[in-house]
Amino acid sequence: MADVAQPVGILKQIRLIAGLRWRMLHNSLRRKQNRLDLLGLIIVGLLAGAFVIGVCFGLFEGAYEFVSSDRTTWLSLFFWAVFLWWQIFPIVAAGFGVSFDFRALLRFPVSFGAFYMIGLAYGLADFTGLAAVCWMLAIILGAAAVKLTLLLPMMLVAVLFVAFNVALERLLGSWMERLLARRRTRELFFAGFILLMVSLQLLGPMLNRYGNSAEPWLVRVLPYLAYFPASLAGRGVGAASAGNYREFVLAAAGVASYALFFGGLLWLRFAAQYCGEELSETPVPERAIRNRVRQKYGADPLGLLSPQVAAVVRKEIRYLLRNGFAALLLLVPPILVFALISRATLFRYSGEKGGISPELFFPGLVAYIILILMAPAYNSFAYENTGVQTYFTAPLQFRDVFLGKNFVQVSLIVTELTLCIVAFYYRVGLPSAPIFTATLAAIVFTVVGQLSIANWSSLSFPRKLAFGQVHGQRQSGMAVLVAFGAQILLFGISSLILGMGRWTGDRWLPAKAFALLAAAAVGGYVASLDALTSYAEKKKEKLIEALCR
Amino acid sequence: MTELAIVTEKLTRRFGALTAVDNVDLRVTAGQFFGFLGPNGAGKSTTIKMLTGLLAPTSGRMHLLGLDFSSHTVEVKRQIGVVPEGMGLFERLTGAEYLRFVGTMYGLDRATTLRRTEELLEFMQLADRPKSLIADYSHGMQKKLALAAAVIHGPRILFLDEPFEGVDALAAGALKALLGRMTARGVTIFLTSHVLEIVERLCSHVGIIHQGRLVAQGSIEELRAGIAGEEGSKSTLEQIFLSIVGQSGAERAQIEELSWLT
Repeated sequence: MADVAQPVGILKQIRLIAGLRWRMLHNSLRRKQNRLDLLGLIIVGLLAGAFVIGVCFGLFEGAYEFVSSDRTTWLSLFFWAVFLWWQIFPIVAAGFGVSFDFRALLRFPVSFGAFYMIGLAYGLADFTGLAAVCWMLAIILGAAAVKLTLLLPMMLVAVLFVAFNVALERLLGSWMERLLARRRTRELFFAGFILLMVSLQLLGPMLNRYGNSAEPWLVRVLPYLAYFPASLAGRGVGAASAGNYREFVLAAAGVASYALFFGGLLWLRFAAQYCGEELSETPVPERAIRNRVRQKYGADPLGLLSPQVAAVVRKEIRYLLRNGFAALLLLVPPILVFALISRATLFRYSGEKGGISPELFFPGLVAYIILILMAPAYNSFAYENTGVQTYFTAPLQFRDVFLGKNFVQVSLIVTELTLCIVAFYYRVGLPSAPIFTATLAAIVFTVVGQLSIANWSSLSFPRKLAFGQVHGQRQSGMAVLVAFGAQILLFGISSLILGMGRWTGDRWLPAKAFALLAAAAVGGYVASLDALTSYAEKKKEKLIEALCR
Repeated sequence: MTELAIVTEKLTRRFGALTAVDNVDLRVTAGQFFGFLGPNGAGKSTTIKMLTGLLAPTSGRMHLLGLDFSSHTVEVKRQIGVVPEGMGLFERLTGAEYLRFVGTMYGLDRATTLRRTEELLEFMQLADRPKSLIADYSHGMQKKLALAAAVIHGPRILFLDEPFEGVDALAAGALKALLGRMTARGVTIFLTSHVLEIVERLCSHVGIIHQGRLVAQGSIEELRAGIAGEEGSKSTLEQIFLSIVGQSGAERAQIEELSWLT
């Protein structure tokens, strides 16, 4: 009779999985592509690290100041900041998380306890979690530097607060993934999200009109915030500082209750996953009606494009609309822009000093939108999977694939920019004609200039991403680095030209310079298509291997 | 003179120190149902990838339908259909959307693409789930869709990498009938499969690759004749295959050593 496998303890299982992760990383470095990828990640990591350390200094100084001036409860503000960062940033930056789907472990005899612990550990291992933990440490050290007796109470509160945040973040991520995996709930989610964002735009005018009358109501509501974990954590530290240990224990117990509650809910979610929950599309049985493929012989809206390019465009649009998370990210830039415009308008209405001039604000907003929307173009085959083989077996030049993908990318940018410019016009007003013209020419320069680089990057540093998945995703390190470098270069040139316009006093100089650069970028783009077609032939094996793995 | 659909000359592909395909000289006549056999890792998929443009050869030449592949890549691709390893599907499209996409990619006009999409979905029994994404299809359904996509443009050569893997018996029967009709109309089919019974039943000619080298090529009767004695004339393709590629004594000894398993 064959042997029967013996049960393995949780610690051993976790050690095995850590070993597996290390072995995967070690083996992946055998390939040059992956070594470059790691190099890119390290450089991006260093930049992100500089940001985290900068904030650490700020928090250390702030905590030091609050404790030394006996305003310890104000530390709640820092806890709120960490809380908001931890819960909101992962949604915006899910593409930079870890690339290991721990649910893949389910095929092994992993106990549920180990599965749960590993799931939680992954919540601490991503950039958001690590940054938040560093900041918590900075707050603790800042406070302890003034009053050493605060060290232990703060550490206890911080551990509970971290546990609460990890559990909540994993829970939200898991639920969002589940919701966005299904078409119907995804549509409902988007509808709700859009409504919410549109409603937020009304917040500014409403505050203007009803701000004064709402103040007493707000004052009544504020105390209730004291029962949220961030406020409880701050209160606990304040109580410990004042030597009121009864209140400290109560506040710490409050944070612990939140951690336990959300940890329990996460337990239930993970239990469903552990039992083999399927996140795929269309769980609802369809009616077995033989829908004939509709014969559409009407005018084709993409008729001006070549059939192959039009086919790629249609496919890209379908992929975009079905990829809940990517579609969601498209909404973020205009929403943030509207929020910024509203804020600028508020400054103007209130007559406060510091209202931003459209001359600077307008090019800045445009640059921001391009910065965000161009990022996916640097790894544009991420969701193709084995389908990428079709591009090489079909009788087409690879330039058609890029033309189709770039057409969709540019259309999105043009649509979002148009929306934002219209909103800007109504709320703030347009900048002067020279700046407006220069910005439009700069849009062509930076977008088209980036497209050539992004196409090259997509072929050189491809990385497969799971479709519609929020967690367990990591972009290609080198692609991120190339995107970063290209954007710094192009926006640096643009800032230099705008600056030159100011220094020389020639207001039309930037417009002329950008027009020249835009023409050069378009020429370069057209010339690059053939070169990229040859390059795609050279790179096809690596591309197929990276995406079909 | 018989037209040759596929000709390779000293086709070689190396991956670093490993030579996956080593100086392979293939000759496949137009209209032949050609089975390409070999043990795991022998070089079947690498050869098919080179013949369909998914992999560049390290050296050697390939001529398909009389055209040099390297200098007439697009013209050749227009006349071939492929079911590659992993099927090459865009999983977030519906079956109909994918077929329309492929039809357009191969240059079919809109009306023809729509008509053939509908006909192929019906034939492959995939029309019942028009709104389902390919990602939600079963493995067998995905295989059928990949085959539909490979034939939508009416190719003159069809490359199939393990086409029957995961396909149920009913669908497999329909597919075999379709492939049979295609060869009768002069379409060349180049197929790899591990199921030797299927190859024996469908294919008129076979090539056997082992450790990157083409070790046998010809009609099944020719290969049978190559086995000496009276038994040779009655041997099945599996026996022919084993006699050429054969299980080594060392492999048999290893199996005997796995006593803990039995």
